[in-house]
Amino acid sequence: MRAGRSRRSSRVAAAAAGRPDPGERVDQYQYLLVLAGCLLITLPLELVLGARVWRRPRRLLLTLLPVVVVYSVWDVLAIESGMWDYSERFTTGILLPFAMPLEELAFFVVIPICGLLTLEAVGNVLAGLRALRAGAGLREAALVVHRGGAR
Amino acid sequence: MLLYTVPAVLSVLVVVLVELLWLRTGVFRTARYWLAMLIVLGFQVPVDGWLTKLSDPIVLYEEAEMTGVRFPWDIPVEDFAFGFGMVTLTMLVWLRLGEREDRRARTPSLQETP
Repeated sequence: MRAGRSRRSSRVAAAAAGRPDPGERVDQYQYLLVLAGCLLITLPLELVLGARVWRRPRRLLLTLLPVVVVYSVWDVLAIESGMWDYSERFTTGILLPFAMPLEELAFFVVIPICGLLTLEAVGNVLAGLRALRAGAGLREAALVVHRGGAR
Repeated sequence: MLLYTVPAVLSVLVVVLVELLWLRTGVFRTARYWLAMLIVLGFQVPVDGWLTKLSDPIVLYEEAEMTGVRFPWDIPVEDFAFGFGMVTLTMLVWLRLGEREDRRARTPSLQETP
């Protein structure tokens, strides 16, 4: 990944100049950057493949609520019992109530969203393929996908 | 003992039961669900792989609480059960809320408002 490479080269430069390592400042955002990458890479599913997940904010929020609650409880219990922990170097150190790292909340929001976008996009692509098989033209089938399936 | 492994497996069972006994979205009988899960799995490997790589881990695990089997790369196999349950639960709730939305949309009194 690019983050790794730039970290190393900036470290070399910093060492040469005798300055504090700027890579360490970037490092603390690494977990968040991975999650941001997940959102970025799935954005075309909404914009091109008609997923309509971001465009239903109320339904999205209501969906995320129980998932975030259930998995945050699991996470907090796991951290408390020492089952897993997070690198101090690659996280911001911002803690939410019950000592849950901010990154974990972000994880339980971002990954489910990526899953929903995938589900909706796959559904639309399958609907487009069905339209093709039913004799629709390529353009027409692409429109079926983009508009969000049969709707 | 196996405080990650056992709950991870149980979470999958619970999510499957939530669908079969409660939400009944029927999603397990659809191609789009299984295809989507396959794609999610495909992307879990690089993302989870990056988070758990033993050379520079972002997430650190207590090895005594899991099987210790890490595959592919350094991903604890338990992560796949965890992810499967979490993403499936999300999809179930989303679809269930969608059914309700569709039903409301079909109610003429609400649909006719300009």
